[in-house]
Amino acid sequence: MRGIDFEVAPGEVFGLLGPNGAGKTTTVEILEGLRPRTSGDVKVLGRDPAIEVKALKDRIGVCLQSTNLPDKITVRESLALFQSFYSRSTDIDKLIDRLQLGEKRNAYYQTLSGGQKQRVALALALVNDPQLVFLDEPTTGLDPQVRLEIHSLISELRDAKRTILITTHYIEEAERLCDRVAIVDQGKIIALGTPREIQARTLGTSRVEIHTAQPMPLDVPNFEEAEKFTISDDRKVLNVYSPRPARTLPDLVKWIDQNGIDLEDIHLKRPTLEDVFIELTGKRLRD
Amino acid sequence: MRAYITQIRTNLRLTMRDRTVLFFNYMFPLLFFFIFGFLMHAEQGGAIVQIVNMVLVLGILGSGFFGAGMRTVMDREANILRRFKVAPISAGPILVSQLVVGLVHFLPVTVLVLVLAHVVYGMPPLEHPLSLFVFVLIGVLAFRAMGGIIGAVANSMQESQIIIQLLYFPMLFLGGATFPIAVMPNWLQIVAQFIPSTYLSTGITAILQGHETIWDNLAPAGALLLTAAVGTFLALKLFRWEKEEKMRTTAKLWVLAVLTPFLLMGAWQAYSKDNVVKGKMLAREMSRTRTLLIRDARLFLGDGNVIEQGAVLVKDGKIAEIYTGAAPDAKTLKAEALDAAGKTLMPGLIDVHVHLGSPGGFYTSAEDYEMPAKAFPREMAAYLYSGVTAVKSAGDGLDEILKVREMEGSGEKLGSELFVVGPLFTAPGGHGTEYAKNIPEIARGGFNAQFLRLPKTPEEAKQMVDELAKRHVDGIKTILEAGSPGYPFVRMDPALVKAIAEEAHKFKLPVVCHTGNVRDVEDAVNAGVDGIEHGSMNDVIPEALFARMKQAGITFDPTLDVVEAFTMLAQGKFEMLDRSLVQQVAPKKLLESTKKFLQSPDGEKMRSGLGKYPVSMAICDQNLLAAMRAGVTLVTGTDSGNPTLFHGPGIHRELQLWIEAGVPASVALQAATYNGAQLLRASDRMGLIKKGYEANLLLVDGNPLKDISVTERISMVMLKGERVDRSELFDQQ
Repeated sequence: MRGIDFEVAPGEVFGLLGPNGAGKTTTVEILEGLRPRTSGDVKVLGRDPAIEVKALKDRIGVCLQSTNLPDKITVRESLALFQSFYSRSTDIDKLIDRLQLGEKRNAYYQTLSGGQKQRVALALALVNDPQLVFLDEPTTGLDPQVRLEIHSLISELRDAKRTILITTHYIEEAERLCDRVAIVDQGKIIALGTPREIQARTLGTSRVEIHTAQPMPLDVPNFEEAEKFTISDDRKVLNVYSPRPARTLPDLVKWIDQNGIDLEDIHLKRPTLEDVFIELTGKRLRD
Repeated sequence: MRAYITQIRTNLRLTMRDRTVLFFNYMFPLLFFFIFGFLMHAEQGGAIVQIVNMVLVLGILGSGFFGAGMRTVMDREANILRRFKVAPISAGPILVSQLVVGLVHFLPVTVLVLVLAHVVYGMPPLEHPLSLFVFVLIGVLAFRAMGGIIGAVANSMQESQIIIQLLYFPMLFLGGATFPIAVMPNWLQIVAQFIPSTYLSTGITAILQGHETIWDNLAPAGALLLTAAVGTFLALKLFRWEKEEKMRTTAKLWVLAVLTPFLLMGAWQAYSKDNVVKGKMLAREMSRTRTLLIRDARLFLGDGNVIEQGAVLVKDGKIAEIYTGAAPDAKTLKAEALDAAGKTLMPGLIDVHVHLGSPGGFYTSAEDYEMPAKAFPREMAAYLYSGVTAVKSAGDGLDEILKVREMEGSGEKLGSELFVVGPLFTAPGGHGTEYAKNIPEIARGGFNAQFLRLPKTPEEAKQMVDELAKRHVDGIKTILEAGSPGYPFVRMDPALVKAIAEEAHKFKLPVVCHTGNVRDVEDAVNAGVDGIEHGSMNDVIPEALFARMKQAGITFDPTLDVVEAFTMLAQGKFEMLDRSLVQQVAPKKLLESTKKFLQSPDGEKMRSGLGKYPVSMAICDQNLLAAMRAGVTLVTGTDSGNPTLFHGPGIHRELQLWIEAGVPASVALQAATYNGAQLLRASDRMGLIKKGYEANLLLVDGNPLKDISVTERISMVMLKGERVDRSELFDQQ
């Protein structure tokens, strides 16, 4: 890490977004008290994780990437086991139901599907009714369907006003789940704010793409708020870039109408965090 | 605390669901137990202790290496420990719960195996169950600590398996778990002393056999505990939660740190050899506890009674039962059967007069004479080979003879049981002192201190007896002998003999007296001795004197063997060297050099010297018969060690000479068994075929009551329940 600075407010879902090797896990492990830091100040729940490790671990919940449980432990036993390590506890059976593991309550860990295992991992992170939950790459390696399930679970946690810190390299995960996101690359935070703020703050403008039945005339005017445009060789696809597409769009549609051309299709493409990342680093998040 | 309990409970449940854990903890030991019990005939005794030890050590090694050693690595490799890493617990509860669960699984099996050993195979109930429990517990702790340290330093399953195999196999095969250390070559026995499981094995075996408690095993228990402490400490310190955290290759040296206590133990044992000896004794003990039924034999019971057809059941080293006629089925008795039709079973023979210090022959060069530490055990083996199960040394260097008695008694060496008198009580210039003349001046003082007691006053004599009693000699030997005109000796004052006898009797020590003529015998009887050795070889002993001996319960040992040897040597006859048993037991080199010596000018001189001491077989025979008629308790001594009387087989010739003198075979054989035991003050445990007596037995082909030479046709010798492997006797390390 090369100097990272952020705060997570109570009740907030905070995302650390970045490619593999960006330093997300390192950051989180320092926060969790698993790894010593070489410099800087860290306070988690008012405690320095390097000093009050045990007290801190007692109050946080952690869902690590790729952990396992013994093959023959049942879901309920695993929760009971881990709960015994903490000073605070929740109702395990309610937790199991909340995570839709009710049917698998007494099933061996080895019989669970990938999604169920991840839900157990989430349940383990909540078993001590934590003040702060760390979700390290909670959906990595899961298939899309399961990922959606997990997302909805995290959304529920968010609705329940848990303080959550998520690391991920999935854009949509950060966009969908996080109140605020820090984009991390090569050990540094390169952008910080709500997903919207970040998108807005960048040069990145929205793009309006129109498809027409007939070729468009060459004299494309300066639409309201538009910054630039590109047109395809057959003049049937026009891309107009604008920071305020809501203003640009009526102008553009009016122009098409005036020229008696049939509008076949229209897309509004907002800039993604991915675009932001590419803009800031010149590379893609995922290869 | 809650974390510990839940962790233990969960771990227990998990292991109960794990078939491999159940198999290796329960099925495997039991399979092992029954398979080896069947193969080794555990129901016939002996082997059961070895099998129980094997199962326990195997279990401890397995629990340590495969249980504790692999478990941590497996959990780490499977990313299970990672999950625990983020919880507010340390490695402590994890390792402790594994240990507790390991014990919970291991200890019931221990109890089960012990119970089964008792119920199914008749192993005697434990004398020190608590000691065994504590020792096994310490063993589990130590070996789990060793496993723990392997788990801590191994970076992968593969690495852990390599380290485990490197340690497990030597510990399994060299540590005495699979076969007794005593059967290994000497150098390997020393190597074994560097291996922790050796101490586990010897300790468990000794406690199982009931001879030792945990307190006798403090050093090994301490070393195991130290290993447990160091290993546990290091396992906690080096504990890793994630497979990504790799250990330096050099970290594997920590394994050696855990084994350090045993490097020290091994180094000490290489020097002291205590545990090597212990291993031999334990193995001996095992072979002494086999159950054997010797059936269809003629039984000469030792007290003159004979059962023409009978059987003897030997169990746990003792005579368990005597059957007249047909014996019950060997299987029902859980015994191995030995068919002995046409053979005669009798108590092992007892030779009450030998001198181990001289070999019975002559070497041509002084360097060929072996040191006592080597020669004596070999001589004791020769006696056992010859069917003699108890021997009395009637005068030998004290320290050396006590050492040999210890070696034979403990079972470290296999040989006859030795009884000793230590030094001879005689007068300065008396018989006994002449041997010192052959000793170089410089060593003579030491020799005399070991070999002679020359008291000047009764008080001094008593003090000397007291000192010997403190050394736990088995009797006292005095000498009253004036020699012959050509061979004079200074004779000890009989008042001294009286003082010696009085003092010795305070310690219940039997006193025998070497006598030369009738006056010596009379004085000895008056002095209150318990046995007359030789009597006289040239004086006729009056019947009245024998009557007094009978009345006083004094034994008579005519030692005809030495009379014959002296006579023949004086006559230049050497055929005694060609006797079969002599050829079998005497070192070849000794026989050859003796032959050469006897025909050399030096030998001639020695022989003519012997000739100066007049001996008469006819008079000796007459004395023996007179003693018999008077009802004196007769005993057989050979005076082996004297020229041409090689150690071992002399008693057979002695018996033949008695028969030639006119003594009935039954009387002679009783003298060589029960009566001998009486003089040794051991007739409450040996000398008879009697229920509860030590199984010291001799089985011969034929009927010695009809033909005494049959005693030399030895079919089997048994000492304290061990069927002696006669061919191996002289190859003992």
